[in-house]
Amino acid sequence: MAAETPTVRARRPRTLSEARATYATNNELAWWVFMRISGFLLVFLVFAHVFTNNILINAGTIDYDYVAERFAQPAVRVMDSFLLGLALLHGTNGLRYVVDDYFRRPQVRFWVKAVLYTVVVAVFVLGLMALWTFTFTEMGDAIRNLGQ
Amino acid sequence: MYRGREGQWAYYLHRISGIALALYLMLHVFDISLVMWGPDGPFNDFLLFYHQWPFRVGLVLIIAGVVYHALNGLRIILLDFTPWAIRYQRALWYGVLGVTAVIGIPVLFKIIPEIVGGA
Repeated sequence: MAAETPTVRARRPRTLSEARATYATNNELAWWVFMRISGFLLVFLVFAHVFTNNILINAGTIDYDYVAERFAQPAVRVMDSFLLGLALLHGTNGLRYVVDDYFRRPQVRFWVKAVLYTVVVAVFVLGLMALWTFTFTEMGDAIRNLGQ
Repeated sequence: MYRGREGQWAYYLHRISGIALALYLMLHVFDISLVMWGPDGPFNDFLLFYHQWPFRVGLVLIIAGVVYHALNGLRIILLDFTPWAIRYQRALWYGVLGVTAVIGIPVLFKIIPEIVGGA
C-alpha cells in the first residue's frame, strides 16, 4: 500500500489565488511569496555584485588584498550579508523544488535534502564568519581567553 | 504554455541556470571565506587556480545564467501578479532573451580580452 502511493504531479501554480488553492499549508504559500520577493530584491543585489567585481575591475586580478579591503568596509559587510542570506535561502528553496521533482523515493529524498541543508548551513556560517572577520585564529584566542 | 513550446524552454533554462547558480554560490562563498586564514593562508593559491582560463570561461557562463535567471524571474513575477502578462508570455520570453543578449554581449567584449590576454 505505502509503496504504491500515487504521486501527484500538479503543475506549479501561476497566480496568487491558484497558489492559495494549491498549497494546503501556509508554509508552501509563504515560500511561494518569498521566492518572488527575494527574487526581485536579488536582481538588484546580484547585478550590483557582478558589476562591482567583474565589470568595474578585471576579475582575474582579484586577490587577498582586494577581498580584505572590501570586507573592511561596513557597507560591503551589510550588503553582502543580505546577499548571502537571501541568495542562499532562494537557491536552497529552489533546489528543494528540484529535489522534490526528481527524487521520488522518500528515503532518497530525505537524505538528499539532509545533505543539502547541512552543506547550506555550513556555507552560511562560513560566509558570515568571513564577512565579519571572525578568523579561526581570533576565535581560538577568544575561546582560550574565556578560561583565563 | 509548458507543452514543448517557448514556455517549456523558458522553464528548462530557468531550472538549469538556477541549479548552476545555487551550486556556484556555495562554491563561491566557500572559496571567498578562505580569507579567514589570512594573507598567508590558502586564499591566494585557490584564486590563482580559479584564474585559469577554463574557470574564467565558466564564470562568463555563470554571469549569463545570472542575467537570464534574473530577467526570466521578473517575467514570472509579471505572469503571476498582472492580469495581462500571461497573454504576452511568449513575447515576454523573447524579450528576456533579447535583453539577456543586450546585457551579455558588452560583458563578453569586456571579459573575453581579459581571458585571452591571460590576466
